[in-house]
Amino acid sequence: MNWDIAKKNFFRQGLRASLNVFVTAFSIIALIFMLSLLNGFQAQATRNVVNTDVGGGHYIAPGFDILSPTEWEDHTVKIPKSLSQLDDKDKAEVLVQQGQLYPNRRLYPVQIRGISMNQSLLKLPLDNLFNFQKPIEDLIPAVIGAKMAKKTHLNKGDILTLKWRDKSGAVDAKDILIIDVGDMLNPRVDDGVVWLRLDHLRFLTDRAEEVSWVAVRNYVGPILGFEYQSVELLMADLLSLWRQDRINSKILWAILMVLVCISVFNTQILNIFKRQKEIGTLMALGMEPKRIVRIFTLEGGLAAFWALFVAILLGLPFFIWFHSVGFDVSHLSESTLPIRETIYPDYQPLEIIYSLVIVFVLIVTAAWLPVKKITKMNPTMALRGRAIK
Amino acid sequence: MDTIYIKKLLSLFFFIFTISPLLNLAEAIDAQKLLKEVDDNLWSNTKFISGRLIIDNGRKVRTLTQDSWMEGVERSYSHYKSPAREKGTKMLKLKGKLWIYTPRTNRKILIAGHLLRQSMMGSDLSYEDMMEDHKLSQSYIATFDRIQSIKEVKYTILNLVARDKKTTYQTRRVWINPKDKTILQEERFAKTGKLLKKILFKDYESIDDRIFPRTMIFKDLLKKNTQTTYKFDVIKFDLDIPDHYFSISILRR
Repeated sequence: MNWDIAKKNFFRQGLRASLNVFVTAFSIIALIFMLSLLNGFQAQATRNVVNTDVGGGHYIAPGFDILSPTEWEDHTVKIPKSLSQLDDKDKAEVLVQQGQLYPNRRLYPVQIRGISMNQSLLKLPLDNLFNFQKPIEDLIPAVIGAKMAKKTHLNKGDILTLKWRDKSGAVDAKDILIIDVGDMLNPRVDDGVVWLRLDHLRFLTDRAEEVSWVAVRNYVGPILGFEYQSVELLMADLLSLWRQDRINSKILWAILMVLVCISVFNTQILNIFKRQKEIGTLMALGMEPKRIVRIFTLEGGLAAFWALFVAILLGLPFFIWFHSVGFDVSHLSESTLPIRETIYPDYQPLEIIYSLVIVFVLIVTAAWLPVKKITKMNPTMALRGRAIK
Repeated sequence: MDTIYIKKLLSLFFFIFTISPLLNLAEAIDAQKLLKEVDDNLWSNTKFISGRLIIDNGRKVRTLTQDSWMEGVERSYSHYKSPAREKGTKMLKLKGKLWIYTPRTNRKILIAGHLLRQSMMGSDLSYEDMMEDHKLSQSYIATFDRIQSIKEVKYTILNLVARDKKTTYQTRRVWINPKDKTILQEERFAKTGKLLKKILFKDYESIDDRIFPRTMIFKDLLKKNTQTTYKFDVIKFDLDIPDHYFSISILRR
């Protein structure tokens, strides 16, 4: 009975109800889009960092801190058997040293990073380095990232001087050949980094078998003389940024919901005001005020239901289409975010269901709040259209 | 047969005759001794220098004035007097450590380890280069390379190889005038043999029985159009330097 009356009343509202439905539907679409895009962005950026740098964690030389470049040379150790015996697909040995590059004969401080060529744990564009078989008496082969190449105005095939110190502290320098400019995706392994073969860097710095850290696929237990740093620790700054992003997205989410709720709230107030005589008549005929409240709330609920329906009808094809084309974020190549590709939204069903339930509850509450005053209405005044001034 | 024998004999005589002056010269020049004599000329137990450091980075020229007091190889103290930006900056070298005091922050900072390799105030010298004051004859093994005439002066070129593998520049080459035991120029090489820095010694003057350069020009050859000129306006040798000059307590406003 309540349902029938509510349904009739809802459809009689015509344009007013449909506007409400469309505003809510578009807000739901925007909400899901925003959340999914953020999910996709964060997932891809995290994947990029893991694939190019972090792996499944690092076993680092004690005291080594990537943020203290002046101490890198002091914290290198020989790789223990327990780590060197790991399969090449499960580990990547890395040696980091300070260096000075002279592009166009101008000083440019760099991080010289040597990585084992047989590793397949980290996905880096170093194939040309691996394939370079010439002796390094004349030129040392090196790879730099696209961002680094842009900053230093270097191109593939350029020859320039690199200066470093050996293990004893003696200054050394030699010309390097840029054999490739790779798309690193992750600024941490691109900006200011010169990639060399690990065997070359070890030879040049007299650091046979030494590493700064070993990236591993999985934690293999405590190893004497090494500190293990988990993915969470290595990505602490990024994860903190993601948490802040989530908070920001929630603020946007709240603003959208407030707008939707105001729209529903406003419609319901207008309904009561315009339909005072109808309410008065129903009360005079003996309908309980609470039942009238339920009918009006149900009308609001119907708006939410139709909004969900329209959101699915319009949103589903949009989301499917967007998932196929993605969102081009090549403009972020200048930023320090580890992403330089097309973002594809990551739709999380559970998250979408939670969001929709919250939207539904909020709309029903926004529909109920203005109509609850019906219980206090004087039927006589309502019949005369003067119950609400 | 006899003709061939006579020809061979004559060739041998001719060879010995032509090469013998060079052999005699090489024997005459004791590279290590010459290097020691150069050190003895330049070196004194204590030294005071009031000078200017003219830093030309290719775009801009800055001049820093400073007073420096040096004692042996391990203690030196410098006080920068200008420009306004650097005025009051003090540097104290004690053994292998270098402290810098800046009046702006009113703090002293220890420059040690790898920080010493950074460029000093944007110059072609690193803190390490600036601190370096060791006797070449003690740190390097010298060998005779050749004689080169420059502006009618015959300079002896010596190749220096570091005795210790921890020495920053493993090889150097110096042009020495054997007559007055002065250095015309010095080249510093990387371990691989790449030429990194060139130092020119100019404006030699006789000061307190020594022949000392008034100007030193440092060039970082890996950089383009840069050079740092160190001009010594006042030089005093073997003077008494108060002990508190080499105490950390001097690093105050």
